[in-house]
Amino acid sequence: MKRGLVAAWLVLGLVALAALAFIPGGHKTEFSVAEEFELQPLIELPSIGPVDLSITKAVVYLWIAAAALIVIAIVVSRTLKPIPSRFQYAVETLYGLAREGIVGSVMKSGQATWFPYIAGAFFFVLTSNLLGLIPLPFAEHHQFGFYAATANLYVTLALALCTFLFTHYAGIRKNGFVRYFRNWAPPSAPPVLRQLILVIHAVSEAFRLVSLSVRLFANMLAGHAILGVFFAMALIFQSYLAAAALQMGSVLIYLFEIFVAFIQAFIFAILSAVYIGGALDQEH
Amino acid sequence: MDAEATKLLAAGISMGVGSLGPALGLGMLISKALESIARQPEVSGDIRTNMFIGIGVTEAVALYAFVIALILIFVA
Repeated sequence: MKRGLVAAWLVLGLVALAALAFIPGGHKTEFSVAEEFELQPLIELPSIGPVDLSITKAVVYLWIAAAALIVIAIVVSRTLKPIPSRFQYAVETLYGLAREGIVGSVMKSGQATWFPYIAGAFFFVLTSNLLGLIPLPFAEHHQFGFYAATANLYVTLALALCTFLFTHYAGIRKNGFVRYFRNWAPPSAPPVLRQLILVIHAVSEAFRLVSLSVRLFANMLAGHAILGVFFAMALIFQSYLAAAALQMGSVLIYLFEIFVAFIQAFIFAILSAVYIGGALDQEH
Repeated sequence: MDAEATKLLAAGISMGVGSLGPALGLGMLISKALESIARQPEVSGDIRTNMFIGIGVTEAVALYAFVIALILIFVA
């Protein structure tokens, strides 16, 4: 009796799914994936030289990320309980990941000095990435739309510049200006090879800035482009059957984007820790 | 062929060829990580952390090709 009921529901479900193929599609509307990434100024401000200071969508998202982090930090630190609530446990897990997983496992010296920056970068990039998965009313005509601040090359370039400047600042402060750069060519190598190694090391240090920023930027940009394509594919196919199938695909790719948000924040933080730690202990 | 078609073709080739290397690299990296976890399950946390770092760095190379493809389509 029970197996007959299950079979009946299955047949009904399959018939309903097949019937979806015959319902005529709705009106086609315009959707372009690239318009999510165009920045229109919300408040026009004058530009200083080549730098345009107007408030755009990206600036507002950065403010929201900073405000969210400050509020969460204040609320959790004021209401600490010995038996943690679920929210406190989640924040403590992330803090433990930043402390032991990132700074503790990678940096040999300077852990206490540089933990605030590394943890700050980790939490800020994580919050910005996750905010990009919540629709907020900053799209055209105040509609709800997705946008991640870290999908903007200037934002990730600014974050990578912080790591870059702190790396060389830490190395120069510890070893002195000339010795830091001279350590880039190991003294235990023949003289001609030393110049070559110095040049190659200098180029690779400069490329770290590019790779750190472009990695985060391209991951977030590609993720949002794929999300946009999946959400809009139902409009292109103009049939409810395709829309039903694509609904599940959209959910799966959205879950994958949450995973990518965590991974990219973790990678940014741990690579920053590796670079700063490498500048602090140069002999190895 | 006019310039517009060449740019689109170049974008397609860039992304296609540019993801061969990272795909092979990722496969090798993750298979080595799985082998080491099977050999020593007690350090699997450490291995997993380093595997994710390796995945991030390797995937970035594919994303460089993606950025070049985007530049070719939208900016050039």
